[in-house]
Amino acid sequence: MNTYYAANLLVYAAVDIIACIALNLQFGVSGIVNFSFIVFQAAGAYAAAVLSMPPDTASGYDFQIYVGGFQLPFPLPWIGGAIAGGLLSIPVGFVVLRKLRSDYQAIALLVTSIIANTVITNARPFLNGAAGLALVPQPLQDQIDPVSDSYQYFYIGLSALSVVLVWFVASRIVNSPFGRSLRAMRDNEVAASALGKNPVALKMMIFIVGGVIAGLSGAILVGFIQLWAPSVWLYPETIILFAAVIVGGRGNNLGAVLGALLVPVGFEEVTRLLPNQFDLGGLVITPQVGLIPALQWVAIGLLIIGFLWFRPEGVRPEPRRVFEGSPDPSEVELVSTA
Amino acid sequence: MDGVSIEVVPGHITGIIGPNGAGKSTFLAVLAGTLPATSGTIIFDGSEITRIPAYLRARRGLVRTFQLPSEFARLTVLENLLVAAPGNRGDSLWGALLGPRYWMADENRLVAQARDLLKRFGMSAKESDYAGIMSGGQKRLIEIMRALMLRPRCLLLDEPMSGVHPRVVEEIQYYLQSLRAGGLTILMVEHELHLVEQLCDSVVVMAQGKVIGSGTMTSLRRQREIVDAYLVG
Repeated sequence: MNTYYAANLLVYAAVDIIACIALNLQFGVSGIVNFSFIVFQAAGAYAAAVLSMPPDTASGYDFQIYVGGFQLPFPLPWIGGAIAGGLLSIPVGFVVLRKLRSDYQAIALLVTSIIANTVITNARPFLNGAAGLALVPQPLQDQIDPVSDSYQYFYIGLSALSVVLVWFVASRIVNSPFGRSLRAMRDNEVAASALGKNPVALKMMIFIVGGVIAGLSGAILVGFIQLWAPSVWLYPETIILFAAVIVGGRGNNLGAVLGALLVPVGFEEVTRLLPNQFDLGGLVITPQVGLIPALQWVAIGLLIIGFLWFRPEGVRPEPRRVFEGSPDPSEVELVSTA
Repeated sequence: MDGVSIEVVPGHITGIIGPNGAGKSTFLAVLAGTLPATSGTIIFDGSEITRIPAYLRARRGLVRTFQLPSEFARLTVLENLLVAAPGNRGDSLWGALLGPRYWMADENRLVAQARDLLKRFGMSAKESDYAGIMSGGQKRLIEIMRALMLRPRCLLLDEPMSGVHPRVVEEIQYYLQSLRAGGLTILMVEHELHLVEQLCDSVVVMAQGKVIGSGTMTSLRRQREIVDAYLVG
């Protein structure tokens, strides 16, 4: 395995882990079916791109049109990406989460995702339309040679650091009394509100936190692949992340990490190893172009249905919170003392 | 509901009785804010709360339980109680981010409080079980304990004894009486008339969305139309 392949695999794994942790906070912990999740990752990626790129009139960049072009040094583009994801969450959450019931919220968010992608695709002066942004500068590329092995290790390290940071924040939320209120709202919103919980405020807060983390994941990804276009954030990308959270186990961060490693990383890597031709005893079958990716989607769908049917709690179920001094001695996880 | 107007005396237990479909639970839901009032006014402790959302009414001390099980199924019994407890510094985003050192003292205090309630209701052994796997009666108890964790000033109980073991019914009765002695106001929907008679200081009778009578059970038993409508047998 060469360094570039390993770096590619590990950075994508980090991005998927971060995204799955964010989606788990929204969907697994709080019950918000955010079918527009990928939009917030895209917002972070676009923001990080235009914050780090020079103006579109600069030499070498004048083949594309975009707003911004501030040439800010690292880590400002990543911070900007995270903020962009959070800022976008405010109007979307304000419209969708206040009045609608959860199933209608899911539909509204799905539609939001489609609308956002269509608008960005067609409004070329904003972010270069369907062609997207290219030649996005990589973090600290003027100090470390980006085509060197050491840069690949550097980027893996940065991504890993981001995973640790996001894990830390998400763990604090999930294992706190605030996380407990989120889980209560997920289980029964009306009862939670009858006990003094403000469901709209709770949803808005976690929606924004998820948006910030999603934005960061987009910033990390765009800094690595150096391009971003509407074709990489179509709404089905959100479905893959949902599959990951469902397979890994909803409501716990470890489940989200496992899901990210099993579905977007593991599953897609395994299908990449499929041969281009099948030799059936002399009969050579060459699948149509596009058949394997299509089958991948079928497999993702079957994976979701299979898990929801046979193991809805996922590979790593949400742990039961047992408090110290509990009369039940058979427990597994201590999250608090009393 | 049509023209329903009742007054609940502070520090008393007021019962609401009536046949199925009379609008008793709907009335409770409107009072608690889980259903909107299309007209009329609700006054709580001298302030109008008609347009105030349910969560703010609960924070003011007007707390309800539900007729149907409304436990947080994937939370343990103890967690169900802790969710309701106010005054935990970790129950906000910033508090959570500041970490356990910031909120653990509150958590420990509230866990002790919740365990005290669980002990009183004989459910200590169940504290680490998921609320979703409890029996109907146990879920009912969880709801009552959860409401009490909120330190309510007025408790709205929707059939609190329904499906509960007779021994526990006595326990709830005793506990409600001690809450009343402590000054808590209770409005209770209940079908078991002997319990209403034993517990309630006054009773409101509803039928077809209207109040058809009110007073003590003894006085209500003397009113023929009420006896015919509901109290027969």
